Amino acid sequence: MVPRTNILGKRVGKIDPGSLPAYVASGGFLALRKALTLQPEEIVHEIMAAHLIGRGGAAFSAGFKWAAVRRETARPKYVVCNADESEPGTFKDRYLLEGDPFRIVEAMAISAYAVGANRGFLYVRGEYPLAYKRLAHAVAESRRAGYLGLNLWNTEFCFDIEIYRGAGAYVCGEETALFESIEGRRGQPRLKPPFPTTNGLFGQPTLINNVETLANVPDIVLNGGQWYRTLGPLTNPGPKLYAVSGHVRKPGVYEATMDLTLQELIYELAGGIPGGRRVQAVLVGGAAGTFLRPDQLDVALGFDTLRTIGATLGSGAVMVLDDSVDLWNVLRRVTRFFQHESCGKCFPCQLGTQRQAEIVTRLAAGNVHPGDGAALTDIGLTMRDASICGLGQMASSALLSAFSQFSLLPREDEL
Amino acid sequence: MTETTETFTYDYPAIEAIVTRHEAKGRAGLLPCLQEIQAFTGWLTPDICQLVGRRLDVPLADIYGVIDFYTLLYREPVGKTIIRVCDDMACYLNGSEEVLSSFKKWLGIGPGETTPDGKYTLEVHPCLGYCDLAPMAMMGDDVHGHLTPDKVADLLEVK
Amino acid sequence: MTEEVRCTIDGRMVSVPAGTTILEAARQVGRDIPTLCHHEALTASGMCRICSVEIEGARTLVPACATVVREDTVIHTRSERVDRSRKVILEMLASASDVSEAPDILAYAETYNADLSRFADGEKRTYDIVDDNPFYIRDYNKCILCGRCVQACGTDMQFTFALTTAGRGFHSHITTFFDQPLPESVCVFCGNCVGVCPTNALQPKQEWLLEQGANWDEIRAQTKKPRRH
Repeated sequence: MVPRTNILGKRVGKIDPGSLPAYVASGGFLALRKALTLQPEEIVHEIMAAHLIGRGGAAFSAGFKWAAVRRETARPKYVVCNADESEPGTFKDRYLLEGDPFRIVEAMAISAYAVGANRGFLYVRGEYPLAYKRLAHAVAESRRAGYLGLNLWNTEFCFDIEIYRGAGAYVCGEETALFESIEGRRGQPRLKPPFPTTNGLFGQPTLINNVETLANVPDIVLNGGQWYRTLGPLTNPGPKLYAVSGHVRKPGVYEATMDLTLQELIYELAGGIPGGRRVQAVLVGGAAGTFLRPDQLDVALGFDTLRTIGATLGSGAVMVLDDSVDLWNVLRRVTRFFQHESCGKCFPCQLGTQRQAEIVTRLAAGNVHPGDGAALTDIGLTMRDASICGLGQMASSALLSAFSQFSLLPREDEL
Repeated sequence: MTETTETFTYDYPAIEAIVTRHEAKGRAGLLPCLQEIQAFTGWLTPDICQLVGRRLDVPLADIYGVIDFYTLLYREPVGKTIIRVCDDMACYLNGSEEVLSSFKKWLGIGPGETTPDGKYTLEVHPCLGYCDLAPMAMMGDDVHGHLTPDKVADLLEVK
Repeated sequence: MTEEVRCTIDGRMVSVPAGTTILEAARQVGRDIPTLCHHEALTASGMCRICSVEIEGARTLVPACATVVREDTVIHTRSERVDRSRKVILEMLASASDVSEAPDILAYAETYNADLSRFADGEKRTYDIVDDNPFYIRDYNKCILCGRCVQACGTDMQFTFALTTAGRGFHSHITTFFDQPLPESVCVFCGNCVGVCPTNALQPKQEWLLEQGANWDEIRAQTKKPRRH
């Protein structure tokens, strides 16, 4: 049995994403209403109890973040929704933003109430014009109908949301780079510590969550953390969105619990490989992810299960490559991506993404020099160990995993 | 000032109005302010930046650094419609190279260039996040998926 | 009384006032850590990562210049990961910029066995020398993007804001508003940027002319201050 769920995407494609009445009629804003009858601490407790793991890629416990921001005494506090989805192969947040924008508005309001914030910022990727339009409409409609603004449901709680549009920089998905961007600066990551929970947007305590993470919140509030933990494996509970692309018959976003195997996702949900081809490799987690071999398709797509085979789930992107593909052409694009998107702040990534892309481009053209393997390993490990942010730390991940999974490099003694 | 000899055809009061709307936010209004102006003018000229810098209280050099950082902000003239062709992994696996060649062929320009009539600028863009529609491209704000060389010709109305 | 924190640096117990950086603590016990972007008078930006050190249990290395000592941490200023990072950063730097007048980089290269020609095939960042004012020249071929000049021009010293980093990634570079010549910018020629430049990318014009073999009359003619009207 494929463990499909229909929680996060229950409204996507079913109701008019521009209609507030349709959202309310399908149970919208019930969770916010319930939340406002609870103590903020109770909500944080439910998020903790749910064991909600952040869906942005870093897989950090959402409950810990919420509790940390809740504890801060400095005022004001802010909540931020990170809708700057830009990991290659990832389009699951766009699916939610375009298909159920009011849900994100509601979830942000709940998170603000829980941590004690009154202002929210929603930073949506610049290349998502439709998502932006629908979010802007959802925020305006919610405000007009009194779901945002002063004294919601005659409580003390006041909350409103400002939307920012990204301007074309993958690195702004990194939380501190995103803050810099909202503050009108070059989107370069800050040194951590201090962390956003204490010194975030405008230097204030800030709760920042990914779109999909927030999308889980209303159902947790309505049904409780215990209910949530019954969904899927105990260690990685809850529904997960998987974005499937590449050589499959039905690319798209699929929702399931995290005991779903790669085999099931590719063959039962995404329709298998077209053209009578076979799987050569699967890139899980996008450009910052890792390659898996065809004999590893029985792995369950959870954060912990993938870790045991040296891979990462990341944002949940699954890209399937059939046996006709020249892997070097894919690796060339992976490294070109990081070369283009490095912000240039720290030296390992600024220089390493450039040199890595140059060497891989040369190798893709069949021009091998002695020492290439050692050079790419040295550059990759240096970026991993010494870069400021996740971009640089992961910029060699797919490449080095490809080297360890497939025999791509000629042996030095054959040169 | 360098290159202030450009003749501006835009509506200056409209730009003033945009700036006024973002003024109270100071520097936090910079990105939305520049984005809204650019939606109007196509690109950000030195004198627009001077106006924005003065009113939002942001140093001019910083504004330039910001514009030059973000790929969707332009400090040089661009075509009326910007065509962004995705050639990252998922689109490549589904034939983006052919799609890109047909854009190049029909427009007669390479990536980073603008057609002589000023209608189109062509760009190869990093993954645009529409991998389920691969291979795809954006023309302005419009998303076009499952592209083929034929569809490209239709889009550009060259047939 | 300031609170003291204790840590272990290369096997030695060290006690320092709370708020001390790893770099300062290490120097107190005679363990030198290389630095490039760090400057006593400027905010630690932690950009160059040459001062990276290893803390036991930490996932990544941390920049010693910008990391405060925390109680009971075990710090290694040299390790396989540390040495590799320093070596590779130096090798990549030398392949991108002209480091011939950066004595620190050359000395560190010796210490860490860096092969400065390792990535010689890679693209170099090349620029025309900018000679647009009587006071100093800008040779960005030598720039390693440490960012000190931008900091000195901005909130760390001068509050003039004539300089910025533009571009991004490998093609980041230091420039002015729309690349305008310095005399047309808000630059007040305070010289602070020249003072903090570690690689001679920014150099007093007289000195530069002397190196070019100019005689005193030529130097005087070319470095005359513009008359104010």
